[in-house]
Amino acid sequence: MSMIVSSIGQGLLWAVLGVALFLTFRILNFPDMTVEGSFPLGASTAVTMIAHGIDPFIATIAAFLVGTVAGLITGLLYTKGKIPVLLSGILVMTATLSINLRIMGSANISLLNQKSIFSIKILQHLPKYFDSVFLGLFIIAIITAGLIFFLQTELGQAFIATGDNPNMAQSIGIQTDRMTIMGLMLSNGLIAFGGAVIAQSNGYADINMGIGIIVIALASIIIGEVVFGELTLNERLVAVIIGSILYRLVLLAVLRLGFSTNDINLISAIVLAVAMILPQLRHALNLDKIIKKGITPHD
Amino acid sequence: MNKRLLSAIAIIIAFLAVAFIVTSKPNTQEKKSTYVPTVGILQLVTHPALDQIHHGIIEGLQSQGYSGKKIKIDYQNAQADQSNLKTMSQKFANENADLTIGIATPAALSLAKTADGNNPVILAGITDPAGSGLVKTTQHPGNNVTGVSGDSPLQQHLDVVQQVVPKAKTLGIIYTTSDHGGEYNAKNMEKLAKKSGYTVKMYTISTTNDMQQVAETMASQVDVVYAPQDNGVASAMKTLINVTNQEKVPVIPAVETMVKDGGVATISVSQYDMGYQAGVMAGQVLKGKSTANYPVKTITKGEMTVNLKQAKLLGINLPASMVKEAETKGEVFK
Repeated sequence: MSMIVSSIGQGLLWAVLGVALFLTFRILNFPDMTVEGSFPLGASTAVTMIAHGIDPFIATIAAFLVGTVAGLITGLLYTKGKIPVLLSGILVMTATLSINLRIMGSANISLLNQKSIFSIKILQHLPKYFDSVFLGLFIIAIITAGLIFFLQTELGQAFIATGDNPNMAQSIGIQTDRMTIMGLMLSNGLIAFGGAVIAQSNGYADINMGIGIIVIALASIIIGEVVFGELTLNERLVAVIIGSILYRLVLLAVLRLGFSTNDINLISAIVLAVAMILPQLRHALNLDKIIKKGITPHD
Repeated sequence: MNKRLLSAIAIIIAFLAVAFIVTSKPNTQEKKSTYVPTVGILQLVTHPALDQIHHGIIEGLQSQGYSGKKIKIDYQNAQADQSNLKTMSQKFANENADLTIGIATPAALSLAKTADGNNPVILAGITDPAGSGLVKTTQHPGNNVTGVSGDSPLQQHLDVVQQVVPKAKTLGIIYTTSDHGGEYNAKNMEKLAKKSGYTVKMYTISTTNDMQQVAETMASQVDVVYAPQDNGVASAMKTLINVTNQEKVPVIPAVETMVKDGGVATISVSQYDMGYQAGVMAGQVLKGKSTANYPVKTITKGEMTVNLKQAKLLGINLPASMVKEAETKGEVFK
């Protein structure tokens, strides 16, 4: 039972990444590879600051700010430099490896016996693994509520319009370049923030911790969409959080079933592929209509 | 709001509420008389050196009487995906593992964090346990963590350099920036070599793809190359040797597998021995020895390995004593 609690806690912490990637991947409609760089960037910034005796909360906020800079650079390369978005992201991701080494001064920094955001007193009295659950819930609730609020504002609506149809958005006077840059900054800031939180949960920052991060973030988005079907925008953000938890539970199940851990990457790729194919399959077999007929009462 | 979404949230909250109440109660499980200890082994990635450590650990535990039905070993390998390390460490914690063993630094850090000062953690193949913050000092670990450190016998390596190429003045050292152990060894070797009067030039690669170009620059600027115990350089050893052979620059690596790949000679610490010692220490701790005062063991005794084919190719006459030592105790590649 406590393993499931732990997975839910981890899912809530990793959900920050899913929600952050949602902004670029789903709303702006492009794959932002910067995240594989901004995630360890946030982790190394926060962990290095904490190791130098700076308050963990300030360090975590600083990670967010550093992440927005990474997003800003990708955004400028894409909008002003006219470099394709995938490439802009990869360039920044590559550059951050050197930056992270500069920040940390070595490939791995430990947080053992250091204060972190998990050291708050209230969290210490909880049963095993509930510290991640409570802190994760607190963090993701604030971020999601903030984003939902933001997306209803005039600025947020302009941001959504930019993703939906940039030409139309431009024609009604929205400065799409600015919207894109803002989205990348916000998204990467949150990713770096997530990196800072997860590094503190893991107890260390490592130069290679960004590898494969984009798959984890995508998994929560896609699983959330597939499992819950048609949703409003706000609901979709919530679905991403549940998707992140479900992904952790799937991984746990795989470990529990005794699969070799060598196969875990293959298995998570299969889970994702199946999740992505499922909607087409359902459509092709006309299952949607059949299911609807089955559950709606005759009128 | 979408019904399925709401019910999913409701299920999760209900589950958490139940778990909160259940796990709040003190654990009343009693240990049975025929108690079988559980040991969790966590490895960062599949890699020949790390696999040897794992193999050694198992046999080290056996030597302490922990084999077959007398022990339950749960072996997990994160395959370099660091997001797995946490889940796997917690799996051990949930199985009430009596002791955990970490192979490579991130794995050990993850275990130490999860154990949080309670259950013993044994390190295997961690280059710099004190620098990584895993133990207070290697003599008095002071906590629940101790183990075996894989410190490279750098002075002995420098002796090999002097024996193989006595006339060399400029020493090139190449390491991977993202490999904590490689960097640590490279920087220590830099100090040692400077003391011995060498002009030292440092070269770094960030991935194995950089090797060709960095090696080309390096080979034209140095008399001899030292390659520390470093995963990146070990993987790209063939590329390095292709380049240095063209310039007739000998390479002295830190590990015997790298001699096999084209290094001239080295004194190498066996990874298996390191694992074996870690296994022995784990056995002792299971029997009740306290970790706090159990000094970290550093294995420095190494065996000579020479590559005669490579020496011939570079026109180097290896000292007869060296070859003899390799023939009797170590390994000779022809």
